[in-house]
Amino acid sequence: MGPAVHTTVDRTIVAPSPPVKGRRSRGDSWPYVFILPMVVCLGLVFAYPLITVIRNSFYSTSMGETTFSGLENYRSLFQDPVFMTSLFNSLKLLAVVPVVTVVAMTIALMLYEGTKGWRAYRLMVFVPYIIPATAIGISFSYLLQQNGILNITLRGLSLDFLALDWIGNSNIVLFSIGGVLVWTQLGFGVVVFTASLLSLPRELSEAAAIDGATRWQTNRLVVLPQVRGTVEFFLVLQAIQVIAWTFPYVYVLTHGGPGNASSVMDLYVWRYAFQYSSPGLSSAAAVVLLLISGVLIAIYTRLRAKQGER
Amino acid sequence: MQVNHIWRSKRRLAFASAAAVFVLILGACSGSSDQGSQASGDPYTGSLTYWFWGESDVPGSTAWMQAAVSRYEGLHPGIHIELVPQATQTLQGAFQTAAQAKTGPDIAMQWATLPVLTPVWRGQVAPLTGLIPESELSQWLNTQENTYQDKVWAMPLYLLGVPFVWNKELFEKAGLDSTHGPQTWDEFLADCAKLKAAGITPITVGDKEGAFGSWFQSVVGTQTLDSIEELQAVYAGKADFSDPKYSGYLTRLAELKDKGYLSSDVASVEATQAWQNFAQGKGAMTWATDGNVAAWVKQGLGSKFGVGKTPLVGTGKLAQYYDATQSISAFITSWSAEKAQAAAFLTWLHTPENLTSWYTTTGAFPADKRFDPSVVKDPVMAQLYKLDTLPNQLWAENYAPPQVDDQGLRTVAQALLAGSTSASDATSQIAGIIKAWQTQQPDDFKTYAKWAEG
Amino acid sequence: MIRRIKIGSVVKHAFLVLVCVASLYPIWFILQTSLKTNAAYELSPLGLPIHSTASNYLQVIRSMAVPRWAWNSLIVTLISATLSTAIALPAGYAFVFGRFRGRSTLFNSNVAFMVIPPVVLLAPIFTVMVNVHLINRLPSVIIFYVGLFLPFSVFFITNFMRTIPVELLEAARMDGLSPFGTLRLIVAPLTSPALFTLMLVNIIYGWNELLIALVFLQDDKSRTLMAGLSVFQGRYVTQQPLVMAGSFLSIVPILLLYAFGQRFFVKGLTAGIGK
Repeated sequence: MGPAVHTTVDRTIVAPSPPVKGRRSRGDSWPYVFILPMVVCLGLVFAYPLITVIRNSFYSTSMGETTFSGLENYRSLFQDPVFMTSLFNSLKLLAVVPVVTVVAMTIALMLYEGTKGWRAYRLMVFVPYIIPATAIGISFSYLLQQNGILNITLRGLSLDFLALDWIGNSNIVLFSIGGVLVWTQLGFGVVVFTASLLSLPRELSEAAAIDGATRWQTNRLVVLPQVRGTVEFFLVLQAIQVIAWTFPYVYVLTHGGPGNASSVMDLYVWRYAFQYSSPGLSSAAAVVLLLISGVLIAIYTRLRAKQGER
Repeated sequence: MQVNHIWRSKRRLAFASAAAVFVLILGACSGSSDQGSQASGDPYTGSLTYWFWGESDVPGSTAWMQAAVSRYEGLHPGIHIELVPQATQTLQGAFQTAAQAKTGPDIAMQWATLPVLTPVWRGQVAPLTGLIPESELSQWLNTQENTYQDKVWAMPLYLLGVPFVWNKELFEKAGLDSTHGPQTWDEFLADCAKLKAAGITPITVGDKEGAFGSWFQSVVGTQTLDSIEELQAVYAGKADFSDPKYSGYLTRLAELKDKGYLSSDVASVEATQAWQNFAQGKGAMTWATDGNVAAWVKQGLGSKFGVGKTPLVGTGKLAQYYDATQSISAFITSWSAEKAQAAAFLTWLHTPENLTSWYTTTGAFPADKRFDPSVVKDPVMAQLYKLDTLPNQLWAENYAPPQVDDQGLRTVAQALLAGSTSASDATSQIAGIIKAWQTQQPDDFKTYAKWAEG
Repeated sequence: MIRRIKIGSVVKHAFLVLVCVASLYPIWFILQTSLKTNAAYELSPLGLPIHSTASNYLQVIRSMAVPRWAWNSLIVTLISATLSTAIALPAGYAFVFGRFRGRSTLFNSNVAFMVIPPVVLLAPIFTVMVNVHLINRLPSVIIFYVGLFLPFSVFFITNFMRTIPVELLEAARMDGLSPFGTLRLIVAPLTSPALFTLMLVNIIYGWNELLIALVFLQDDKSRTLMAGLSVFQGRYVTQQPLVMAGSFLSIVPILLLYAFGQRFFVKGLTAGIGK
C-alpha cells in the first residue's frame, strides 16, 4: 500500500481556507483542545523520530559510548557497496512509474469511452492494489521460481527463451520486482484516472468529434491535457511509493537477494538497524531516504500549489 | 433536547466500551510478559520462551521438540514453555533485534562458535557453567565449540555431519561407479561432465537463503589450510583473504556454475526444497546433513544414496578432516528472568530417554557421550556416525564472525551463483566486507583477535 | 437497426479481459493451490484441483499460531483505525472551522508527513518502546499505527468537512451549542460517510502492514498475521499448498471488505477529483 492510498488527488485544497467568518472571538481555546491529541501523536510518531534519526546519523557507538562523529557515517555509507546498490535499485525502480501511468491511462481511456461493463473491469483491476503485499509476495515467490508456474507455462507455450530465472538471476531480479509493483499499482491508477476522466465536461470532446477528429486525436489533444494535473500528482505519488514503500515485496520475494541484487533503500535501513546492529549507518541511510522523499514531497507540494492557481 | 441526551449517552457508551476493550487488551497482552518477573527460586515453576531452530538440519526436529516440551510440561505442571520455531534466513537477525530490546526468548539458538560467541562478547548470554553442574556438561559432545574463558556458554543438541551424497541409480545411468563418490576434484569434474552428458543434473543445491556459499568454504575452501588458526588469522586481520589459499574456493564454485553443473534453479530455490528435489532423483550429487539423510532413510530411500567425504581438493592438513559440528547450540539469554528454569529444561533434554527418543524419531545423532551407538542399525546412518566420530572434525563456518558470514561468505557467493559476480570480484568483495566488519564492530574485532590467539 | 460489432470493440474488450485475468490470476493461483494436497500439487502445479481438499485450511486453523496471529492483527487494526479516526475528527474540525496559531504550519507538516517512509521512524520508536517495555506487546504497534494513519486521516476529513455548509454551524451557534456540541451533534453525523471510508482505508493499511509488526512483535504470541505469514512460509517452505492456504486466509477479510465497501473505496480515493 503506502502513500498512494493515503493521498487523494485534490485540486481545491492548497492550504486550509480561512476560517468561517464571524464565528468566535479571537483567542478561542477550543481548537487547541481539538488538535491536542493529534499534535501529541504526531509529535511522538513523527517529530521525535525524525529529529532523533537525523541526530543519530552524526553519532557512532563504540565500546558502549556514543560520540559525535560528524559525517563519518555518511562517508562509510557511500563507501558501502550494498548501500550504493540499494540506492541505485530504488532509483531504477522509478522506471515502474511511467509504465504504470501509461498502462493505467490507456485502460482508463478505454473504460471512460463508455465500454460496456466498465465498472466490472475497474472492480477487478483494483483488487491487486488492496491485497496484502505479504500474501502477494509469497504467491509470486513460488510463481517466479526457475521451475515455477510462470516458466512452466512459458515452456509449455514453446517460449523457452522467455523462461528466465526471474528471482534467482541478479540481473533480472529487480526487473521482476518492478513487474510485481506494476501489477499491484495498476488498479490504483485506473481508478484515479477513470474518476478524473469522468469528471471532465463532455462538450469539448463532442465538439472535437463533430470537427472530425478521430478518437485518438481527441484523446491526445483534448482529453489528456485536461487531466494533466491528475497525471502529475499520480506520477509523484507513485515515485514516492516506489522509492520508499517497497519493503514487504522485496522482503518476502527475495529478502534483498540474490546477493543484495534486489536490496532497496527501505530494506537497507531496516537491515542495518536491526540485523547488523549498525545504527549509525542505518540512520545515515534513513536521512538519505528522507532527503529523496523530501525532494519528491517538494515537487508534490509545488504541483498542488500550481493546481490551486488553475 | 431529548435527542441530545440519547446521543450523548450513546456516545459515552461508545467511548466507555472502546476504552474498556482497550484496557482489556492491554491487560491481556501484559499478562504473558509479567509472569517472568514472578519467577521464584523453584526451577520447575515458571514460563519460558524458547526460540528453536533445527528443521533445516534435521527434518522432524521441530515436531520432536514440541513433543518434548509437552512431556516436560506434563512432568512439571508448574512450567510452561512456548516454542517459537525460527527461519534460517532470519535466525541471526531476529535474535539481534530481540537482544536490542532485551526481551523475547529465554532460550535462544545460534550456530556454534562465532554466532554464539558474538552475543557472549556483547553480554547477551548467560554462561551455562554455574547453572548446570560440571558432571552434566562433561557428558556433552563438542562443548569446545562454545567454550570461552573456561566456561561453556551453549548446549549442543545433536551432532551433525555434512556428508557428500550421491545418487547411485543416476551414477549407474551415466556409467559411473556408484560404490564410491568422486575422490578428487578432477574426478568430480569428470563425473559432472558425464552426468551432464547423460542429461542428468550433476549437483542439486538450493541457495535462496544463501547458506551454500558458506558451506562451500567449509567443505572445499579449507582444504588448502593446515589449521583453523590460519583462517582465524584472516578474520583477525593478520592475513589477507585475497590470497588464493583462502579464496581459491570461489574460483572452483564459479567453475561449477559456469560449466552448468549446478541445478538451474540454485539461486531461486531454498535448501530444503533442493534436498527434496534431490531425494526425488532430480539431481545426482549434493551436500546434505545427517538429519536429511536420516529422513531419506526413513522414507525407505536409504539404498539409493551413497555417503562419504567431500572430494579431495587441497593438500592442507584440514583436507583430511571431516565436516561435522554440533551445528546449532542452545543458550540462555542474559536478560532471562528464568535462568534456573531454563537450565533445568536444557539439562532434561539430555536425559537418556530423550537421547534415545531423539535418535529414534529423527535419525540424527544426539551430542552426548551417553548415547549408545549400537542402536544405529541402518548401514548408511552407521557410516555417517563413523564419519562424525572421526578424531578430526571441523566446520569452518563456525569461525566466521556472523556479519562476515552473512554479508560476505553467504551473500557474495549468492551473487556469484546468480551470475552477477565473477570469482575475482567476489574475492575482493568479501575481503572488503571483512575490513568493513573490523571497522564497524571494533569491539567484536578486538575480542576476536584476542580469542584467536588464545 | 443494424447492430454493428466493431472489431475495435472486440479488441478492446479482449485487452481488458486479459488485464483482468492478469490481475486476478495470482490470487486465484493461491486459492487453487491451497485446495490441493502436496502430492497433487507436485503432479499438477498449474491445473485445477481434481479433488479439492480443505485439509490445508484445517491444518492452518488448527495450528496454534495462525489463528492467534489473525486475532492479533484484528485487534491491532481495529483499535488503531478507530483511535486514529477519532483523533482526526476533532482535528479536522479545528482546521476547517477554527482559528489558531500555527494552523497553516501544522496542516502543511501534516501533508508532508503523509509521505514519510515509516522505515525512517522505525529505529527511534523501537528504542522508545524498548525503554517502556512495550516490545512484543500489541500497544507498541497500535501506538505507531495510530500515528501513521493520522496524517492521511486528518487530510481526508479536512477535505470532506469543507463541503459542510457554514450556515449549519451558524445556526448551531445561535442555538447556543459549544464547538464540541456542534462537532458531536451536527458535523460528525454529516461526516459519517467519510469516516466510514476512512475506517476502511485505515483498516486495510493496518491489516496489510508488515515492517513495523515484524520488528515490534517477535513472539509468536503477539505476532500479527502478515509477519506471521512470512515466518510461516519459512517453516513450511516445502509445503506450498499449506503456505498458500495461510496466505489466502489473510486475503479473505480484505476481499470481504472490498466486496462490501468497494463503492466507498472508489469514492474515497477519488474524492475531490474534478468539481
